[in-house]
Amino acid sequence: MLSVNNITKIFNKKTVNERVALENVSLQMEPGEFITIIGGNGAGKSTLLNCIAGSYLVDEGYILLDGENITFQKEHKRARYIGRLFQDPLKGTAPNMTIEENMALAYMRTAKKPFSIGISKKDRDYIRTRLESLGLGLENRMKTKVGLLSGGQRQAITLLMATMTTPKLLLLDEHTAALDPATAEKVLELTKQIVRENTITTLMITHNIASALDCGNRTLMMEQGKIILDLQGEQRGSMTVEDVLELFRQKSNREFDNDRVLLS
Amino acid sequence: MDLFLGSAEQGLIYGLLTIGIYISYRILNVADLTVDGSFTTGAAVSIMLTLAGHPVLGILLAAVAGALAGIVTAFLQTKLKIQPILAGILTMTALYTINLAIMGNRPNMSLLYQETIFTGIDEALGRWGELVFCLLICVVCVALVSLFLHTRLGLSVRATGDNEDMVRSSSINADLMKFIGLAVANALVALSGAVLCQYQQFTDISMGTGMVVIALASLVIGEVVFGWSKLMLAAMIIGTIIYRLIYALALQVEIPVMYMKLVTAVFVILAISYPVIVDKIKLHSQKRRTNHAIGQ
Repeated sequence: MLSVNNITKIFNKKTVNERVALENVSLQMEPGEFITIIGGNGAGKSTLLNCIAGSYLVDEGYILLDGENITFQKEHKRARYIGRLFQDPLKGTAPNMTIEENMALAYMRTAKKPFSIGISKKDRDYIRTRLESLGLGLENRMKTKVGLLSGGQRQAITLLMATMTTPKLLLLDEHTAALDPATAEKVLELTKQIVRENTITTLMITHNIASALDCGNRTLMMEQGKIILDLQGEQRGSMTVEDVLELFRQKSNREFDNDRVLLS
Repeated sequence: MDLFLGSAEQGLIYGLLTIGIYISYRILNVADLTVDGSFTTGAAVSIMLTLAGHPVLGILLAAVAGALAGIVTAFLQTKLKIQPILAGILTMTALYTINLAIMGNRPNMSLLYQETIFTGIDEALGRWGELVFCLLICVVCVALVSLFLHTRLGLSVRATGDNEDMVRSSSINADLMKFIGLAVANALVALSGAVLCQYQQFTDISMGTGMVVIALASLVIGEVVFGWSKLMLAAMIIGTIIYRLIYALALQVEIPVMYMKLVTAVFVILAISYPVIVDKIKLHSQKRRTNHAIGQ
């Protein structure tokens, strides 16, 4: 499925501000796997996702998706089969366009005919059924501009858009972190449901160790640009948040520094 | 009567320019200064081909030339990473030389006794001929642009101006969308210049100067007067006609022509910064009330 091989990413190379964000990172993902990633600030979690999605080109190593080399493929080309959500709920939708227009943009991800009508009746019906599945009543507000919706609603729509045509890979970069707890819970539930129903191979960054253990079937811990822990199977099943924090202490000889973890 | 007729005709012609600006400024969210150059390019191409006996071809090729100018600006912006405003200024500056070259190094030319796109319809309809013909061109252009904006491609162009981050992560080539948007915008601008040239029967190398500001003024008027409707493109045309009417009335009361650009610029500044100014005034009065209430 996804095969990340010895990738290294260095920012501000050969300057005083040089920073190695990823160092020889390798990761093999099986189809249908749902990996959660935890780690402190600046551990390289987002950089890893950005490299896979093509926002950054890696300095060394290569990335394969379904056997195809995508290391140097442009971001928008990869986006055809990689769905993506960011922490900032404003990033995933166009505020001055209506809900249905936003959804239609995602819908035509794979369509080739640029001069056909943007939203046909068939498209509209399909979009409505997808919106109904969210259970947020958005199917009755399809002509509303997305900018008028709340962050949670926008993130839910972005989630639908990213999975409208089932992607080979779904990348979630702390996509619930900017939402209030109740909404975050709801969006996370939706995420799990959609991923389960379509068996989408997923990589999710979270700062919440509890939900990292609760979601998916494999958990990675990153620190200083490396994957220092790879939990799966039975070992992962019996883990508690305290166990994970203890393991982190052993592996990195320091406390888990992410204060948001302590608060959540 | 002539005043109204003239304003309506000119409003329809300059309306295409305003639609061009609407595409770059409102839809793509870029202040595209290429316009000051590409407007003249359209007029230059139009006059040369009209003089050679091909007025219709002149209009069509003018649009193509305008699209090319837009493509150059898009290239500077996206591939060479030059700031959008500077990219437009660079293309506009380069176009000055190119426009002169198109006109055979003459700064102005006229079209006396030449057959233009208006000749046939003038003979058939008399004094209403030009208005009808301008209206026809406008309706066709508005219909085409409106159709374009509702295609998948058009939706993608709109999304690019609205949220580039989103577009990048949703498999749309944002750079390509800017190429397409700026090409369409400048094609309309050049078309406007081309029709104007045959309408007024002359082209001047500096006729494009200040066109961005004039189009922005028309755009703002259109949005204020007619923006409540969903027909933004029609609103642009109506805004331009109103602007032309105001312009003609100003000339009637003998405001010197040379003042008009200053007046237009001040108008655009006020119109665009209107929300900021209102906020400042509100804050100021709130401060005064608060200070008064606590006795300071």
